[in-house]
Amino acid sequence: MPDLAFLAFLVVDGALAGAIYALAALAFVVVYKASRMINFAVGEWIMLASRMVASGLHGLGFGLGGALGLACVGMVALAMAFNRVVLRRLFGQSLLSSIMVTIGLGILLRGSAAIVFAGIPPRITSPVPLEPLVIRGVPVSIDKLVAAMIAGACIIGLGWFFHGSRTGLALRAIAIDQQVAMAVGIDLHRHFAIAWALVGVLSVLAGTLGSVVLGGGFGIGLLGLKVFPIVIVGGLDSLLGTIVGALVIGILESLTAGYIDPLVGGGFSHVASYVVLIATLLVRPYGLFGRPDVERV
Amino acid sequence: MNVPALLEIEDLHVSYGRIRAVQGVSLTVPDAAIVALIGANGAGKSTLLRAISGIVRPRRGAVRFLGEDLVGLPVHQIARRHVIHVPEGRGMLARMTVLENLRLGGFARSGHASTALELDRVFALFPVLSQRRGQLAGSLSGGEQQMLAIARGMMARPRLLMLDEPSLGLAPLLVREIFRIIPRLTAEGTAVLLVEQNARMALQCAAHAYVLQTGRVVLSGPAADLLATPEVQRAYLGAG
Repeated sequence: MPDLAFLAFLVVDGALAGAIYALAALAFVVVYKASRMINFAVGEWIMLASRMVASGLHGLGFGLGGALGLACVGMVALAMAFNRVVLRRLFGQSLLSSIMVTIGLGILLRGSAAIVFAGIPPRITSPVPLEPLVIRGVPVSIDKLVAAMIAGACIIGLGWFFHGSRTGLALRAIAIDQQVAMAVGIDLHRHFAIAWALVGVLSVLAGTLGSVVLGGGFGIGLLGLKVFPIVIVGGLDSLLGTIVGALVIGILESLTAGYIDPLVGGGFSHVASYVVLIATLLVRPYGLFGRPDVERV
Repeated sequence: MNVPALLEIEDLHVSYGRIRAVQGVSLTVPDAAIVALIGANGAGKSTLLRAISGIVRPRRGAVRFLGEDLVGLPVHQIARRHVIHVPEGRGMLARMTVLENLRLGGFARSGHASTALELDRVFALFPVLSQRRGQLAGSLSGGEQQMLAIARGMMARPRLLMLDEPSLGLAPLLVREIFRIIPRLTAEGTAVLLVEQNARMALQCAAHAYVLQTGRVVLSGPAADLLATPEVQRAYLGAG
């Protein structure tokens, strides 16, 4: 492959992966926006969702649609239960306790998934042909392209939900000022539950697309690790920033995997995003699109 | 005379830790009337409003709205009973547009079919907001922000609107503008409980008034009578 085509391949491939990362990162941002809570278990949520889809396919013999539906029901139920049983009790306490609880939940999910889903193959295969498309000498894998398009459609839908619907308006108001939100008659707990249900659905989407493209199993939980560089680069509470951050990280990983990994013997691509994370924290701690907190006195 | 009360507060006590902010206040707001609450800084005026809207929980006493005790209800439930609090400092969502802020105000009403109707009504009261509807709330002037705060409250079609220091930090011309609008709210069927430092303006537009001192009601009566009381003139109107 000529040099320029190789570069184009890496950029396109990275951007397609970035679209899937964006879904995973949005699963994180949705809750952060509504409640300032950091969900350290986002990788485990995605892993669990993808295992549920795989179980629907291989364990219960469902079609892809049925398996997705089953996983959505399961994940939304988990989200509701977690919000109701655990988070609601911690409401009004230090945010730190809620954040620690997500770490605990992550460990619990990882451990129990290994037992519950033992013996069920984790792979989710793509229903589209695997022969890559070649556009002007640049190979583009079709399953990644389709996955990225689905991810893009979901992100547009989510953007409409936040900016065009009444519930989305309420969630944004809660994100800015909970006191004001309550004062205009918004039920905080109901909307926290909605935000967590969204996390459940986004986890199913990210977990499924991620498994098709990047391989399934426990490795899919690593998507959770990509989320932190993305949201730090993009700014924790900006939807647009999250999408740009995800594309940046996807392309960066792809470029370092193509150019630097062969020199250093592999693995640097996984570290590169964290180098960017640290650099961002040093230069623009509120992210490229985040807003610094300015208080009017 | 037996005017049915919209809001009836009975022997209300509110404490912050060991500080007793409100100590045994009783007051009544009749339907579609303006009632002023005046007093010095720290007299407990804002605390009283916070207790009515459920932000702080009273230690003792009752807040009866149309006969129902509001004490212990969550804040959003009280708002949904059309008891709306416009806090001091206005509580604007600066990063949202004027229109989004107004739409939020409509949240307390169930169903959203009539939001457009409600917007028309509010824009008729505050024409300047209609011109600024696409602008971020944070970019409005202080006076416009205060109007937006009141307008957002009106979007809920409140039975009781509680205004906390609406004239705070505004130029005299804008203060007059705000006080010109407040009486028009009652024409929409809204009663106003008005907390003000600007006692003269408050007493001129209210029907009834209460004077609070260190958490207690020390004087009450028709606003016009209070305006003529020597104690009120000395303490709050800067006379003599």
